[in-house]
Amino acid sequence: MAAETTLVPPVLAAPTGRRQDRVRFQLGSIPLLAPAAILLIVLFLGPVAYSFYLGFTNLNLIGPTAINYQWTGLTNLNQLIHDPIFGQSLYRTAFFVIGSGVIGATGIGLLLAMAMQRAIPLIRILIGALVVVCFMLPPVTVAMVWYAASTSGGTITALFGSPNSDFLHSFPLVLVGAANTWSLTGLAMLLFGAALRNIPNEVVESAELERANPVQRFFRITLPLLRPTIVTTVLLMTLLSLANFTIVYIMTAGGPGNSTMILPVYSYQQAFQFDRLAYGALVGDAMVVLATIVSFIYVRASRARV
Amino acid sequence: MATTAIAADQLNAERPRLPVRPRRVTGGKTISNLILIALGVIFTAPLLWLLFAAFDSKAGPTIEWPHLTLSNFTNAASSVNMQALLNSVYISTIATFVSTVPAAFMAYVFSRRHIPWKGPLLLFILMLAGVPVSILIVPLYQEFANHNWLTLVPASIFLGVTSLPFEIWIIKNFIDAVPQDLEEAARLERANTMQILRRVVVPLAFPGIAAAAIFGFINAWGNFLVPLVLISSSGQQPAPVAIYGFFGGNVIRYGWIAAYAIIYSLPVVVLYVGMSRAFRGGFVLGGAVRG
Repeated sequence: MAAETTLVPPVLAAPTGRRQDRVRFQLGSIPLLAPAAILLIVLFLGPVAYSFYLGFTNLNLIGPTAINYQWTGLTNLNQLIHDPIFGQSLYRTAFFVIGSGVIGATGIGLLLAMAMQRAIPLIRILIGALVVVCFMLPPVTVAMVWYAASTSGGTITALFGSPNSDFLHSFPLVLVGAANTWSLTGLAMLLFGAALRNIPNEVVESAELERANPVQRFFRITLPLLRPTIVTTVLLMTLLSLANFTIVYIMTAGGPGNSTMILPVYSYQQAFQFDRLAYGALVGDAMVVLATIVSFIYVRASRARV
Repeated sequence: MATTAIAADQLNAERPRLPVRPRRVTGGKTISNLILIALGVIFTAPLLWLLFAAFDSKAGPTIEWPHLTLSNFTNAASSVNMQALLNSVYISTIATFVSTVPAAFMAYVFSRRHIPWKGPLLLFILMLAGVPVSILIVPLYQEFANHNWLTLVPASIFLGVTSLPFEIWIIKNFIDAVPQDLEEAARLERANTMQILRRVVVPLAFPGIAAAAIFGFINAWGNFLVPLVLISSSGQQPAPVAIYGFFGGNVIRYGWIAAYAIIYSLPVVVLYVGMSRAFRGGFVLGGAVRG
């Protein structure tokens, strides 16, 4: 080691005509960036752009326009705007995302994380682990478990209804939302748990010395300090709920009578069950626009620090 | 040490004179425990049903104490269903490699080198991580159908790409934590970029790369829509589609589904535990650089 300390770094040994005091883009970075960039462009960005094109054609899954499809201008968009099922679907998607994702999962996750701070270790560890396992289960398993619980003869129906009632038929959107909340709360709880542990004890103690009551401590100290985490968690829950095709499709397939027809399910149904690929693509495009708007609101909210 | 011990003793001696803690704190504790238990029961009941039904010879949709049997597992493990699990392993393994290796390269450049518009690009990649995968299904179906690619391998590669943006973020954060001095030392020893990556960066950022790989694996393992649409042969369908198939018959055999769902879900839980270990052990690099 000692003998090699006289070694001159190659950068200094080979001076070039260019300025060396500024960091430059190295050509050697290209092969390192290329694999991921090519994959993302070919299988992610390209399809998104292609989807916007397909949304304005008359492409069908089968029939003559399956191969010879053409640009039809604003016909599909016009139809989408006047499509009552799409309008209801927007409303139901909002209900599903805000009710089960934003309020349900984020709220219960925060409640659990705060209760854990004061709980007996045994209860804390046991229940924490169980709630996190609910989050870990793959979506298909979640859908299966909740289908069984809420169908006729299932645990929820048996507890709250008459033996012959079918709660999945009576309150489909609520139950599908409950399944979504059940599967996402663990993640929210983990995020809030970490954030609560990072709140310095001194702040809480000084508030206690000033005789702040628990309600004041929550609204004046905990909540403002948790603000960044709340924004992140709300965004995450929104996007995860918006993307939730599997649970809804397996539990109800959008039914009964379109009452759980959230956008991803509607897009799939139009494209692959009603064979209208172009229209399904357009519904998907509407989701891209929605997800982008939500993300922008998030970026704004996270920058506006109080 | 000795002085602090004395100070602590003095504090302890003075403690009885301090005012007793107000009673409402214990009230808060009781409420906290009660909330936890109540929510815990609600969250646990579906899990308990899954467990009981899997071992119950007369399993129905309601929670009941099981008539213990293992026959659900033997019945669920038919050759078709085992093939589906094997397909899941293939799909997830391909997806893991397709996502993790390119993600690690790109994350290294983003962490260490100058590239134009780095901040906006990183934000853009983060936004890609939030794009719902279901919107890509129609254009990809059209593309793959045109090329006769509706088989296992292209679908797996696509599933890998869906976890690529988030993996870039995970790995970048871990590489950021690796001290740059170590790399500069290696560069002084005339190591080239690939050597630095293989000998310095990958071993030190390994917990992050492992966490990213686990994320990619779980993401592909759990996806239902992509194989459903992008794989046309039923012999190549993975386990989630097989579970969906259980619902197709006239009689739903809850015991079989529950048993199969447990076999299918258990690896994910194990991997998540592994991932959390990786995150916890990720930043122990204090001894690598002195001064």
